[in-house]
Amino acid sequence: MKIPARVLADQLKQIKDSGRFSPRSGALPTWCPGCGYFGIHQGLNECIASLGLPLHEIVTVSGIGCAGRYPFFTNNYGLHTVHGRTLPAATGVKLANPKLTVFAVGGDGDGLAIGGGHLPHIARRNIDVNYLLFDNSIYGLTKGQPSPTSPIGSKTKASPYGTTDRPLNATLMALTYGASFVARLFAGDPKGITEALLEGVRNPGFSIFHIHTSCVTFDKAFKTWTNLKKWTHPLPEDYDPTDIRRAFDEVLRDDFSLGVIYKREY
Amino acid sequence: MPEVDFTVEVCGMAGDGTIAAGGLINEAMSLGGFSVLGFDSYPAEIRGFGRCVTNSRIGSNEIVALGEHAHALISLNDEQSRSRAPFLSEHSLVFFDSNPPTYVQEEKSLLSVAPPGVIIFGIPFSDLAVSAAGSSRGRNLTALGGFAAVTGIEPDFFREVIKNKFKSKGDRVVDINLKSFDAGYEYAMGKFADRLLQLFPKSEDRAGHDKVVLSGNQAIGMAAIDAGLKLYFGYPITPATPIMEYLAKYLPEHGGRVVQMEDEISSIGAVIGSFYAGVRAMTATSGPGFALMTELITHGVMAEIPAVIIDAQRAGPSTGLPTKTEQSDLQAAVFGGPGDSARIVIAPTNVEECYYFTLKSFQLAEKYQTPVIVLTDFFLDNRVENRPLPKTTGEQVACWNIFPGESSKGRYQRYDDTPSGISPRSFPGMEGFNFTATGLEHTEKGTPDYSPENHSKMTEKRHRKIRSALNDLEKPVEFFPNDQLDVGVIGWGSTFGSVLEAVEKSRKNGFKVGALKITSIFPYHSEIIKAFMAKSKFVLIPELNYEGQLANLIAHLDLKPVERLNFVTGAPIPPSAIQNRVEELLEVRAQ
Repeated sequence: MKIPARVLADQLKQIKDSGRFSPRSGALPTWCPGCGYFGIHQGLNECIASLGLPLHEIVTVSGIGCAGRYPFFTNNYGLHTVHGRTLPAATGVKLANPKLTVFAVGGDGDGLAIGGGHLPHIARRNIDVNYLLFDNSIYGLTKGQPSPTSPIGSKTKASPYGTTDRPLNATLMALTYGASFVARLFAGDPKGITEALLEGVRNPGFSIFHIHTSCVTFDKAFKTWTNLKKWTHPLPEDYDPTDIRRAFDEVLRDDFSLGVIYKREY
Repeated sequence: MPEVDFTVEVCGMAGDGTIAAGGLINEAMSLGGFSVLGFDSYPAEIRGFGRCVTNSRIGSNEIVALGEHAHALISLNDEQSRSRAPFLSEHSLVFFDSNPPTYVQEEKSLLSVAPPGVIIFGIPFSDLAVSAAGSSRGRNLTALGGFAAVTGIEPDFFREVIKNKFKSKGDRVVDINLKSFDAGYEYAMGKFADRLLQLFPKSEDRAGHDKVVLSGNQAIGMAAIDAGLKLYFGYPITPATPIMEYLAKYLPEHGGRVVQMEDEISSIGAVIGSFYAGVRAMTATSGPGFALMTELITHGVMAEIPAVIIDAQRAGPSTGLPTKTEQSDLQAAVFGGPGDSARIVIAPTNVEECYYFTLKSFQLAEKYQTPVIVLTDFFLDNRVENRPLPKTTGEQVACWNIFPGESSKGRYQRYDDTPSGISPRSFPGMEGFNFTATGLEHTEKGTPDYSPENHSKMTEKRHRKIRSALNDLEKPVEFFPNDQLDVGVIGWGSTFGSVLEAVEKSRKNGFKVGALKITSIFPYHSEIIKAFMAKSKFVLIPELNYEGQLANLIAHLDLKPVERLNFVTGAPIPPSAIQNRVEELLEVRAQ
């Protein structure tokens, strides 16, 4: 189903005029129809709207990739940097003006491949940045190459015989690096994203939101909507996010349980 | 009164207290009212068996270059000091330990290779230190005592700087060091009573008390604090690390913070993030780190975000010679990185300029909304000079940000295409001026746009902006101005001191020579440089790099080919090499 851009723009204008989604900018997102990023956008916008913060005191920092374009689709301040450098730039912004609420957004390639060296350090410095990692296990903007979270055997144009490298587990990495707030979420559940964000924004240190999402254009096999819906489920009922050992156990056992995995008690 | 121009070297093994002794000489002679330029060389390995050498040039007039010959050598290790023999000449004074802690066979020692005519002073440094203070650790101080006595330096200058240097370690340590110094002094006064010299005449009008001995790196650190630096992001690398260490110590008391980042990429990333949010930040690195920064530097160019980057050059390429000096990052600083990414590059030529140029770099970065690169080098960073303590005016540290007016609310365009190319800039926190800064090509509003018209227009805007920075950039300075020159020597960075000294000497020899100091590397004042080249029969550009990187940048300004003098020895260019080349050019022409 293809919706003409004009119709979309009209719909967007209606939404904008309603004021319900004030954080949303007038620019039409460049993502493909059906992209998981719309769900994340909705979740973050809801969070910003319910926080009631003035938009000029919010900064969204991004790198390169489909997620890199995110700041253009919001009405707050934005800093669209180069590939992989989302977290260092966000560190600079937050330390320069601690009054700002800083969201860093980026994909699995930006955050775990080229920029993978920065994650441990922002976590150990515990800089108060809220990092949304859009994990669709593929390079979308460059049209479908394997990413550091693609499963072994992923076939793409750049890996026609299947990949041989083990995938990274972003939630496990964040726990290992000592991030003070770790949540695992699903783009198909914007409400869940909003709830976790509202909790994470209050964490006075580094918060990471590892969001499973789908690339409808280049991934027809792994993180499809059907699969993600089937695989994802809430954390166990008796789960205690302040217990780091429990968190490690959970993450080692299950890749798709959703919710606040860990939060440091201060 | 005879003019003083005296070079003394101290040479020893790592651990002999060589660098400390050289530092005390610099401080004491500064206190004595002399002009001082000091430079140390030491091994890249911390715990090696390395040789340490300090070189202090002391003058009654301003000293601009390193001494080429040693008038005195204080040897704390006679085996290591053999390497200094070529710098000695007839009548050089040599001070050595006549009963050293480790015996050096005579055929392996300095004395076997010293040139004929050197004047030798054997002093039992270690024995005197042991009997005066109970430990041979003060033997470097004993050596200084002997040196002061023989050359006629007022011992109180040394006593005062020794007190200052050790006072933080307590009275006992001060006392031990003073006793060691005095033991050497008394011994030499008695033993060499018939050979005492008066090389450093006392002078009442030379008040040294208003001068401080500073390294280039310290001057940069001081300037950054005076400029209101709030955040320093960096990664350790020789020779830039002392800047980070200086700031780590002093920035917190000025309300700032030093963050040691995980690499140079994150350092410049955080600097850009900080300036984007409206706060002065800085990073310092050397060639290998600078190479890593280039992508984000061009992001600063494209997104028009200020940044201040010190590139303390060292000999390369790659890891190169980490503790040796070179001026081989000029092209990387001016051109490094993807795309047409014009930025501002400035290069101080001495310690005082390290201070003032760093100060100014923050204003330039803010006003022109672009990364500013300050090019120094190992020799400039680590040499010390005594200079009057820098003073700043409000004007020198004022904020040069240009903010959007209230009236533009609602129609604010972050990248407004103004005649100067400078667009009023807002920060997060300023209501009504929200925008997204981006490394993508964008419209005046900041929206990504790849149309040919827009890319042409915005590229032109960014370059126009950098060109307009010439209004605020230091103009080239001509020394010994003349309507006509036989040789016009152009110098930049740490090499300029050698240029100045060489030109001065050639002029004394009757040659019609002048010098032009270029500190604004990019953009540069082409008309002034062109005029200087045009009136010079020969244009000579000495540089510490293989091909002549400044020469490559500016040679096209004149029709005749420029003469290049390139040194890649890892050491500063000796003034005599430039002087010889100048005179060679003219003699060839005369034939």
